[in-house]
Amino acid sequence: MDDELLELQRQFEFAQQAKSSIRLSDRNVVELVQKLQQLQVIDFELLHTASGKEYITLDQLRNEMVTEVKRLGRISVIDLADVTGVDLYYVEKLAQSIITDHGELMLTEGEIVTESYWDSIAEEINERLQECSQIALTELAVQLNVGLDLIASVLEPRLGTIVKGRLEGGQLYTPAYVARVSAMVRGAARGITVPTNLTVLWSSLQNLLQEMDGASGVAVDGSFFQSLFNGLVKGGEISGSVRAGVHWTPAVFAVAQKESVDSFFSQNSFISYDVLQKLGIPQPVQFLQVTNPRYPEGKPLVTTFVHPSMIEMLDAATEDALERGSWSDSLSLLPSSFTPQDASKMLFLCQSVQLALKSNKAHIFGDFYVLSSSFMKDICDCTVKELETLAVSKSLGTVKPGDLPIANEVKAGYDSSRLSVSSEMASDSGSNKHADKGPKKKKGKATGNALANQSESGADNQEHTSTKSKKSQRKGKDTSSQTSDSKQGSRKESLKMKEDNLSSPSEEWIMEKITALVPDFEEQGIDDPETILRPLANKLRPTIINTWMEKRKALFKDNAERMKQLLDNLQKKLDESFLNMQLYEKALELFEDDQSTSVVLHRHLLRTVAAPMVDMLLHDLDEQNKLKNGVEVQESPNSESISFSPGDRAAISKSFPGALSNKALAVVEALEGKRVETFMSSFRAVTEESGLPLKKLDKKLERTLLHSYRKELTSQVSAETDPVSLLPKVVSLLYVQVYHKALQAPGRAISVAISQLTDKLDETACKIIADYQAAAEDSCASNRIREILESQMPALKSLVSGASRS
Amino acid sequence: MEGWDPNTKSTLTQIPLLTTKSGPRDGAAWTVRLKEEYKSLIAYTQMNKSNDNDWFRISASNPEGTRWTGKCWYVYNLLKYEFDLQFDIPVTYPSTAPELELPQLDGKTQKMYRGGKICLTVHFKPLWAKNCPRFGIAHALCLGLAPWLAAEIPILVDSGMIKHKDDATSSTES
Repeated sequence: MDDELLELQRQFEFAQQAKSSIRLSDRNVVELVQKLQQLQVIDFELLHTASGKEYITLDQLRNEMVTEVKRLGRISVIDLADVTGVDLYYVEKLAQSIITDHGELMLTEGEIVTESYWDSIAEEINERLQECSQIALTELAVQLNVGLDLIASVLEPRLGTIVKGRLEGGQLYTPAYVARVSAMVRGAARGITVPTNLTVLWSSLQNLLQEMDGASGVAVDGSFFQSLFNGLVKGGEISGSVRAGVHWTPAVFAVAQKESVDSFFSQNSFISYDVLQKLGIPQPVQFLQVTNPRYPEGKPLVTTFVHPSMIEMLDAATEDALERGSWSDSLSLLPSSFTPQDASKMLFLCQSVQLALKSNKAHIFGDFYVLSSSFMKDICDCTVKELETLAVSKSLGTVKPGDLPIANEVKAGYDSSRLSVSSEMASDSGSNKHADKGPKKKKGKATGNALANQSESGADNQEHTSTKSKKSQRKGKDTSSQTSDSKQGSRKESLKMKEDNLSSPSEEWIMEKITALVPDFEEQGIDDPETILRPLANKLRPTIINTWMEKRKALFKDNAERMKQLLDNLQKKLDESFLNMQLYEKALELFEDDQSTSVVLHRHLLRTVAAPMVDMLLHDLDEQNKLKNGVEVQESPNSESISFSPGDRAAISKSFPGALSNKALAVVEALEGKRVETFMSSFRAVTEESGLPLKKLDKKLERTLLHSYRKELTSQVSAETDPVSLLPKVVSLLYVQVYHKALQAPGRAISVAISQLTDKLDETACKIIADYQAAAEDSCASNRIREILESQMPALKSLVSGASRS
Repeated sequence: MEGWDPNTKSTLTQIPLLTTKSGPRDGAAWTVRLKEEYKSLIAYTQMNKSNDNDWFRISASNPEGTRWTGKCWYVYNLLKYEFDLQFDIPVTYPSTAPELELPQLDGKTQKMYRGGKICLTVHFKPLWAKNCPRFGIAHALCLGLAPWLAAEIPILVDSGMIKHKDDATSSTES
């Protein structure tokens, strides 16, 4: 038995003797505590933990929370509740009081954070920043799981102290990084020589940065570049101007632009806005006049800016042309970049041109053609002459070959026919004469006034003494038209309606005339006749018409007398022949039942009696027409001797105006037909249309006519020696005696006519006629029979005379 | 270790293990073993006391430490039933576990061999064999006697086989 064993035995004994500790169950303890509280032994608030196994006092909880917060630096209240094992409600309540007690703590979004925590975070951030040279705040916020505003507000006071960097647009940058980007911006800005949109520049810089940094490179905000750029501009490190914050115009560009404009303008005395726009000046006029008033004497045109010397040049050239009584094309005098509008505007700036315009010595057409009045007058005169010749040739009804190209002729013909209508109207209402010109003249005058107002002063008439006479002519005309203007007012409307029908040489025709007269125009206006020819023609037309009208008016006076005479004659002659015609027509009724004879008789009547009558009418109407148109007409030798072919008749009829033409054509047609009735009706229509009323055959008149006819026939028969021609006359006379009808029968119809007579005459008379007729039919054959006929003539004559006496 | 309740298991694991493999006939080696037995018994006893779970008193009744006697008790329905406890260290110890005897309960329960030796569970022997030199007397008490008492005493009390000493005295008095 060694000591150790004894010692162990003793220890074991002691261990077994030792008092065993006494344990209470949880339930006992809870009851005990409740008992203590009831007994007021525990007189403070006692909390129990969430597990229900512990009691804790508020002070202890508070201490625990503070230690926990201090230990971790940042802890959420919920986590704190877990750690302390106390209900969240108490933890939150206590958290509030802890925050108020401890200044260095802050409660954000359910988390308690100490200042020291932020300090350490800032240090961390700084470390990272020095590594990466830039960090996005959003990244930090996500990483720290706090709001962006919070981290910004926390970092703000620590910038420059703990965090060595710069906060720009939500990004943290190190000074070195800022310096590098700043250098990039400076380099880029200095490298730019043309106006640039800065956002484009920033994006390219951003690309560059990303390339340099590789995939890790964080996108740098454009506003960062912008702020650096603004700093550089302010510091004078780069020169230029910024418009609207993003449009950067480098100084070097502005200078180059200015110099370019200067040199071009000084060399060429003009500069077009296109050029300026190419140079990057968006508002050229403003640039030249307002922004950069170095050209105070320059004038802005529509597309170009010109120096006064340019205007003087144009002025001199135009003036020269005007003095020579010629014309000038301003556009061809100017550089090719000038548009017609520019030329027109420049003309308004030319003093001499304005003076000439004001004094009516010049006119501008198609914006840039300047024509002197004398030049226009010449054209006008020429055209009027042309018109006259045309009118004459037309009125003569024949076209002189080689006089003019065919196309012209046709047009002229058409125009002159239109003209005749107008002249009728003009003569109807004398004061209307100038009506159609009214509006045009007025317009011309108005513009003339406007031009005059624009020119500064007008008193250089003495310069244009050479054209004075012409001018005075013009003036006379103008005043006359002006006076007519004043009358027109109310009538304009109605006249305008008529204007379509109104006569005048068409613009196209005048244009062609002008082209023929001035070949230069063709070269100019061939591509676009509208520019000069049409306006010129438009302008000249009233004058031409006016002049021509006056000429014709004079002619009318001469013709009027003759016309009256002509009409009187015609009336007389027509009355006579038409009555005869009616008389003869009646005789036809006898043969209505015999178809073939009737046709023959109708035709005969139309050929022999109607045709000369129609010819006479047509000729006289035609003549009257010409006289009316003011065409000189030779005194026609003898109207009776006229005879036309059917073609001529149609042609003349066609030349008549309007409805008359149609009706005349109908007559001509009826003349070729077989029915006298149709002819009669259409002929009557023509005469009525042309204002020649025809007398109707009445009983009394018929008797008188018949009587005279009979007398004539009787005398003819008695005087007749030719046996062949005697027979028809005798037959006719017999018809008058028997039927009281005047028969005009051709040789072919004689036999029928005689057979018609047989039942009316006595036997002997019939026999005589029949025999004679039978002999007469053979008469052509031999002289012997002629002799027989001659021998029988007295018998025949006596037959008639006897009958007439009975 | 299955077959025992979790409390027993946790307690068992906390009893210091022994290292020396020697029986009562091994002389000095037995002494070393005996010392370890004592250390583990002390630790077990202290553990029980601190857990307010003291349930036995034993002491070696011979200087060799091969026979141990003492008392063990069990509290049931707030009454403490106390029994005599005695056992010998077998010569083949530690390969063979000691046979614990409760002579007072001899013949009162079927879970007992003649002479008051308690019947241990089927799990005890293999476990003991597996942990041959490491388990000692403390382990045998913890694994063998404690579960047996917890299982058998309530049945014996309820069936009236054993009576509390106060009752016994009162009944005898009355």
